[in-house]
Amino acid sequence: MTAVVVAGLTLREVARRRAVMVLLVGMPLAFYLARRDLPGQSTRMLTLGIGWAVATLTLFVVNAQRGVDPRLRLAGASVTALVGGRLLAMTAAGTGLAAAFWGMVAVLQDVRRPWAIGPLMLVSVLVGVPFGSLVGALLPRELEGALALLTVVAVQMLAHPEGLLAEVMPFWSARELGNYAIDATAVGDLWKALAHAGVTWTLATGATLALFARRLQVAQYPEP
Amino acid sequence: MSPDPDDDGWPARFEAELVRLGQHPARARALAQESVDQAVEAGSDADRLLGPPHLYARHLVSELNDVPAPPGVGGPPAPGRVLLRLADVGKRYRRRVVLAGVDLTVRAGEVAAVVGANGCGKSTLLRICAGLTRPTSGTVERTRRVGLVPQDGGTAPWLTAAEHFTLFGAAAGLAPRRARSTGEHLAARLSWRPAAGQPAQDLSGGTRQKLNLVLGELHSPDLLLLDEPYQGFDQGTYLDFWRQVVAWRDAGRGVVVVTHLLHDLRHVDQVLDLGSRPGARVAAVAR
Repeated sequence: MTAVVVAGLTLREVARRRAVMVLLVGMPLAFYLARRDLPGQSTRMLTLGIGWAVATLTLFVVNAQRGVDPRLRLAGASVTALVGGRLLAMTAAGTGLAAAFWGMVAVLQDVRRPWAIGPLMLVSVLVGVPFGSLVGALLPRELEGALALLTVVAVQMLAHPEGLLAEVMPFWSARELGNYAIDATAVGDLWKALAHAGVTWTLATGATLALFARRLQVAQYPEP
Repeated sequence: MSPDPDDDGWPARFEAELVRLGQHPARARALAQESVDQAVEAGSDADRLLGPPHLYARHLVSELNDVPAPPGVGGPPAPGRVLLRLADVGKRYRRRVVLAGVDLTVRAGEVAAVVGANGCGKSTLLRICAGLTRPTSGTVERTRRVGLVPQDGGTAPWLTAAEHFTLFGAAAGLAPRRARSTGEHLAARLSWRPAAGQPAQDLSGGTRQKLNLVLGELHSPDLLLLDEPYQGFDQGTYLDFWRQVVAWRDAGRGVVVVTHLLHDLRHVDQVLDLGSRPGARVAAVAR
């Protein structure tokens, strides 16, 4: 119940930040438009842009509640409800964004497996949300967190796709799924990508919950 | 007809809150019935006429404290239950001592002021009382239901007052409608009627502090921890605030208020002076 209320109010908060909404849509779109003549490049850049935008927005949402969360904990809210509610809201917002861009790519670009563009973008959202919240939990200041996310996405773009560095980065699954969707590689790439996304999601979500559980711990004093 | 305690309606919740506040069950039941009868006579329902049951229960208990109980149906709440006890509490961050040897006991129906110079650890002490910061030494005992009102912050900039009531109510297990109704009643006591659709960031500093106060009390805590909550209040609101503190005390709540305004101290029962520098020797002064 509390998680649902937190999720609903988080979505309302985000929707009221008009400039943020414009940037949320505009940033991946700019990535896409820069190479729209190349279906593979533009779709991969769009996907990374979605992941980056969603992760950054989640980072800001998580950090914006630092003053409120301790009071909510004192009032009786659990860490799982607070963090889970926000992750749920951001996943819903990101899924809407991904669905819109999926439609755009399916209509405008000639890719080998257009249906797989949907899961490709969804994976980017599903990884981006807990990864953004994890960075927010580790780096309490927004500027530091945003720079850390920028570094991760830039390295993910630049690292050799076959190298170990690329494989240990959080958005590797999106690149791998991109190969499957755009270049019609073997189905093994799809399963590898989904497994990587599942492990990344689990680790990032678990670490976020653990860090917030520690930070928002309320001492259980004995009653007088 | 007597209210059924198993019923989830207004009379049952009102009766349960009266019992929780120390009223004898038989007397609580009689008071619940009287309140329902009063609403029926006025052609209204109890919720609309008297407000949320837990708030009206506290109001009624504060009124009853001056009236002797009828023989055979119990008495007023037992006064003086300890809500907070600090014994030799200290806090240090690495080598820097922030607090040392702090003792404080706050009972139901008491207001304690924490005073001291800037940086002497007043806010740290309040966070220790809340359980948000752990003391390095000493022991803390505290009642379970506690509300915290910080000096600033503590609200979500893009949410309206009503949405804050819903959020904090959900944390405490209140249904959204009941949380909003309770929040509006509490706001009215501070002469504030929240405007619909206005986010917290557009509120004036004083109004935002009113919101902070309401949120601290929304879940009906037994102990209120207030960190200079009157920042930005105008004179009228400042007086309303202290009237509210007295009402909380009369309703059997404990209040710890951090303040640096010495003329506030006439409202309080005890003063804890944390001195002029971090870790200074602490003096507790009963008034």
